[in-house]
Amino acid sequence: MSETKNTINELSKKLDEAAKATLDYSKSQSADRTKVSASCTVEKRLVVENKEFTLANTLESQKIGLLVHKDQRKGSAALNNAQEPSLQRAVTDALSLARFSVPDPFLIMPAATEAPSTKPLSFMWNDRTSEISLKDLQEFTQAMLAHLTKDKRVAIDRLEVSTSCMWHGLYNSLGVRQTETQSAVSWSFMGMAVDGNDVSGFDYDGRSAYSWDGSLDLALKQCAEFTEKVVRNLRPIKAPTYKGLVLLTPRAVEEILLGTMLYHMAGSSVMDGKSQWHEKIGSQVVSNMIHLSDDPHNERFSGATAFDGDGLPTAKRTLIENGVLMTHLHDCYTANRCKSKSTATSGGPFALMCKPGKDNLTAMMNARPELLVVDRFSGNIDPIKGDFSGVAKSSRYFKNGKDIGAVAETMIAGNLFEVLNKVQAVSTVTEDLSGSMQMPWMVVDGVSVTGN
Amino acid sequence: MSMKQILHNLVHRQSGYVELRWHKRTSQSFVATKGRVDVANTSTTEGVGVRALVDGAWGFAATADISEPSIKRAIQQAQANAALLAKARKGHTIALKTGRLCTKDFVGDGFAELQQMQIADKLGKVIDLEKQLAKSSQRMHTAKVRYTEYMEEKAIVTSDGANCSLKIAQPELALSAIAEKDGQRATGGKGAGVSGGWTCLFNHPTLNHVVDDIAKTTVDLLDAKYPEGGRKKVILAPAVVGLLCHEAIGHTVEADFVKAGSVAAGKIGQAVASPLVTMADSGQESIAGYAVGNLPFDDEGVETENTIIIKDGKLVSYLHNRETAAEFGVNPTGNSRAWLFSDEPLIRMRNTYLLPGQSKLADMIATMDDGYLVEGAGSGQADSNGEFMFGCSHVWEIKNGKKTNLLREATLSGIAFDVLKTVDAVSSEFQWDLGTGHCGKGQPAKVDAGGPYIRCEINVGGRQS
Repeated sequence: MSETKNTINELSKKLDEAAKATLDYSKSQSADRTKVSASCTVEKRLVVENKEFTLANTLESQKIGLLVHKDQRKGSAALNNAQEPSLQRAVTDALSLARFSVPDPFLIMPAATEAPSTKPLSFMWNDRTSEISLKDLQEFTQAMLAHLTKDKRVAIDRLEVSTSCMWHGLYNSLGVRQTETQSAVSWSFMGMAVDGNDVSGFDYDGRSAYSWDGSLDLALKQCAEFTEKVVRNLRPIKAPTYKGLVLLTPRAVEEILLGTMLYHMAGSSVMDGKSQWHEKIGSQVVSNMIHLSDDPHNERFSGATAFDGDGLPTAKRTLIENGVLMTHLHDCYTANRCKSKSTATSGGPFALMCKPGKDNLTAMMNARPELLVVDRFSGNIDPIKGDFSGVAKSSRYFKNGKDIGAVAETMIAGNLFEVLNKVQAVSTVTEDLSGSMQMPWMVVDGVSVTGN
Repeated sequence: MSMKQILHNLVHRQSGYVELRWHKRTSQSFVATKGRVDVANTSTTEGVGVRALVDGAWGFAATADISEPSIKRAIQQAQANAALLAKARKGHTIALKTGRLCTKDFVGDGFAELQQMQIADKLGKVIDLEKQLAKSSQRMHTAKVRYTEYMEEKAIVTSDGANCSLKIAQPELALSAIAEKDGQRATGGKGAGVSGGWTCLFNHPTLNHVVDDIAKTTVDLLDAKYPEGGRKKVILAPAVVGLLCHEAIGHTVEADFVKAGSVAAGKIGQAVASPLVTMADSGQESIAGYAVGNLPFDDEGVETENTIIIKDGKLVSYLHNRETAAEFGVNPTGNSRAWLFSDEPLIRMRNTYLLPGQSKLADMIATMDDGYLVEGAGSGQADSNGEFMFGCSHVWEIKNGKKTNLLREATLSGIAFDVLKTVDAVSSEFQWDLGTGHCGKGQPAKVDAGGPYIRCEINVGGRQS
């Protein structure tokens, strides 16, 4: 057994005992219900700045959070050690907060019958990942750095590579007990291209994978794509000013469109009357070209989990089908307030997948006389009104299918409720973004582009 | 024995450079909305972070167990990590500039006041403010009030002489609202954060009449139009000036970004702004005394200072830690900060601001034919190439020397130094106004920013017909 695995096993046993003792102590202090969430992590991390190793970091950490309900009031506390006096003080603090809070008859926790212990998702733990040493990580990082700096015009501001092994447990006083372990190798990098006085826009990328095996190939492929992109974005022009079509890359689909859709699906928005999709289940809310699902058991995605933040078993769920809203996203509390059922998405959704469409990507770029291809969005989105406004970063301007060049100082603005209903094309190809979700490319209409 | 003494005893048994940082953060957080308390939380994080410099390379380790044996193990681990890295480094070895290493113990204003205050009083005030805001107008759909306080306790001991401790309090309050009319919604909000106690927080000028101000602006925005996009002459309010200083300039002059090739690289001594512009980043601001980024020393144990970045339009300094100061041949500026004990220190801003000038806001408006007064700073981001964007919750139209219509939110963008070169007026009125929330750079950091009103030209993102 690797040293890391051994450490995780030992720490998790202690935390398991501490969590049970905390539930008992909380009960002895007259709490009506208590939830304890505990985790421990062993992490190794290497940092490169300006092409030079600058830091090696190793860390063992633990976190305990607890939530108490008392006389229909709630209070919570968190700490980073599992010693008995500290945990007992945390229970006292949480109960003190609850005493001065406002009564809420909808507070709820699931019973063990609603949240049976789940079977761990086997792909989330990889023994090989837990065996990785700092030396292995150093070789991995050096290979990435060599790829990223092959072209001398590429300036890498920061590169980080890490492995982490984690155990997580969730318990409540009604008998719920869920645990899972997870290993991950993660990398992220940021930089730009510099050619004399010409500086491209800043960009970044990265992802996470459960398994060490195959992760270097993924990382190197991403490095090659990144360097090609930042060099291509040198010598930017200003896009023309117009209102009309833009092509959103998968990353832009996530950054611009996804948050607003999730806001209006969220049980918290529904219960407070803030959702525009409050009574829209079964109705068309966006273009019929959009299909969105959450698949927490999909091994491609780093957010996979067998249980949600309430301890309920998770499952694949269709959220939007042919533009029709299929469900809101409820945890136990929002479901209770809305007289609905939890969708086991407390802390979620976990692994979003937007289905590919029917349109060829090249044809999507070529078929429009004027098209801004937006890769990143740096700006503000008001999910309540749907208004968005910001800078199109790492983006390019196409005229009659010809790539005119990268753009700078180009802003985009519009209303997302309009844009989501004006989807013109969805690509057959998709990308896994940071290993956490899958998105296609989309052409949308009704966007104001302010350039020259 | 105090934690500082324990660290001191451990450091002096080590060879080579070792930096020990004990950090305990106790925080409270309350959120009230719709007559409920959504969050009533207390949190404690405590541990020791260790940085070791071995053969010119850094190693880091941290432990939440603050017993001597555990800290000793963390020191050994950090040294082993550094030794491993030293073999992999090809270029220069890391050296440290000493600077003014702090040997004082510091207790900030308001720490005792907040520590002694009852939870019931703090939470009760949050619940009461939410009620007031919810009832402030018939058009009010949602009111939300968030209070967060950080009680920071630190001891920093380095093998080359830093030996200091601090206790500081950083409370903040933010109110937000959604108004509704005929299915249309508008949002608004304000907030303030201070380095000080409860009394200091509620004396912040932003919180004067805060409920009435938010209610009026949010309801008025229901009937407001959008601003027209394009390059515009604008007057930026202090919060927006603070955002410009922080996002568009401040990040580009952080020496780690400068080394990576930011737009500020190689520009020391050059004119980068209008001669009316003098900009600084201060760890011990004296204009108001309560800005949230006030710190007596940074996380390398270096005493903080008021660092002038741009003087009369010329770039005069970057922001440094001990390592970059040695590399650039200057003194460290006290900008090395870590969020938690388990985070390594990075170069971060503290209180970033433009110094006040000679003009009066009223005169700046009166001498403007056409443009906007931009208020209500939102979030912002900037690139190393100096391109920035930030949002604002509302703008006022200025026509023929008069402030006229209230307009909806806008996003502003530009190239930082280009925008600063267009500054043609700087007001004498000044305010810190960015003390809520956090700056993000891998780790969060509590910072503040502010300034006078300035008049300049900027890109306004708007709607095209």
